[in-house]
Amino acid sequence: MTETVDRRRLLTSAVVGSAALAGATALGSLAPEAAFAADAQPVEPGAPDPNFAEGRVTGISAGMLFVTGSDMALWRIRITGGTSVWKLRPTTFDQVAVGDGLYARGLRLPDGTLAADSVWVNIVNVHAHIAAIGRNVLHLDHKGKRIVGHVVPGTSAARYNDTPAVADMSLLRVGKHVQVIGAWVPDTNEVEIATVYAAA
Amino acid sequence: MAALTGTMSWFCCGNSWGPCGTAGHGACGTCNSGSYQHAWPNASAACFDITRPDRCGVSMTRRGCGFRHYTTNRCNGKRVGTTIADCGPQTDLWCGERACCGSVCGTNRIVDLTPAAFSQIGSLSSGLLPCSVDTV
Repeated sequence: MTETVDRRRLLTSAVVGSAALAGATALGSLAPEAAFAADAQPVEPGAPDPNFAEGRVTGISAGMLFVTGSDMALWRIRITGGTSVWKLRPTTFDQVAVGDGLYARGLRLPDGTLAADSVWVNIVNVHAHIAAIGRNVLHLDHKGKRIVGHVVPGTSAARYNDTPAVADMSLLRVGKHVQVIGAWVPDTNEVEIATVYAAA
Repeated sequence: MAALTGTMSWFCCGNSWGPCGTAGHGACGTCNSGSYQHAWPNASAACFDITRPDRCGVSMTRRGCGFRHYTTNRCNGKRVGTTIADCGPQTDLWCGERACCGSVCGTNRIVDLTPAAFSQIGSLSSGLLPCSVDTV
C-alpha cells in the first residue's frame, strides 16, 4: 500500500509541479497490471467514480488528452512518464490518435484534470458467437450485428478454458461462443484481437 | 454468506463508443460504465433462466437491482463494492472455465464488473481474473 500511495503522490506531483518522472520505475512496474493506485476517496457502491473517465479523444496536446465522454462530459487527461498506455498491447502515448475511444483511471486533481495511471485505448470486451472463420479473421455475431475480428500475428492469442494463452487459433469453431479482448478500429465494425477466450 | 469464488470479467453499459454503443443501461436501467456496478447471474427469475449457473454446479442467491456485493481480485487482494445493475454473465456458456494467477484459480464465471469497478482492482486488458464475491 505504501508503494502505491507513494507512486500516486509522485504522479500527482509530477503533474502539478512538472517534475521529471525519471525515478518512477523505482517504485515498481509501469505495466497496466501494476499501475493502479489507491483511491484518495472511497467510492460508494453504485456511484460514479470521479477518478475514472471514458469517451473519445477529440484533441491531443503536450501530454494532455482532451476527451469527450459518451455522456458529453469533457475530460482533460494528463499523461505522464508513469502512465501505462494500452492499445492492443502495452504501448506509448504517441500511438493515441484523435477519434480513439478510451477508458482511463487516475487521480482527479483540483483543477479538474485526471492524472492518469492507466489508459486503455479502444479496448473492447466482446461476447459473441463465431459466424465464420477466414485467414487471420473471425467474423463474430455480437447481439445481432457483425463484428470483424482481425488476428494480429505476433500479438493475438487464444485461451481455451484454463490453458495458457497460445497463438494457435485452430481450435476455434464456427457457432461457438467466445469472448474477445481487443482494440476497436474507430468508426468501423472491426476489432484487432488481443485475446480470444473460448471453451475448448 | 460465505464468499463465492469463481472468475470475473467486465462489460460496458450506458452511453459508450464502438461495439458498446448499443449496450443500453442494463436490465435494471441504471447501468453505466463509469459507476461501481456489476451484473449478477441471478438478478431475477428471468435472468436465472438465461444464465443458469446451476448447470455449472454454482449455487447463487437471488438478489435484485441495487444489491451490494464486494468483489475481490484474488490475484492482488484488491476489493471493490458495487451494486447490481444488470443480468449476467451467462455462466453456463463457460462451465468449467478457469482463470489463474499462479496457484490461485477461480472456476466458472460468477460476476461481471463495469469498467470503472474492474479497473479499480485489475487491468481491463486482463479480461478474466479469479475472484471472490461476498456481501460484507
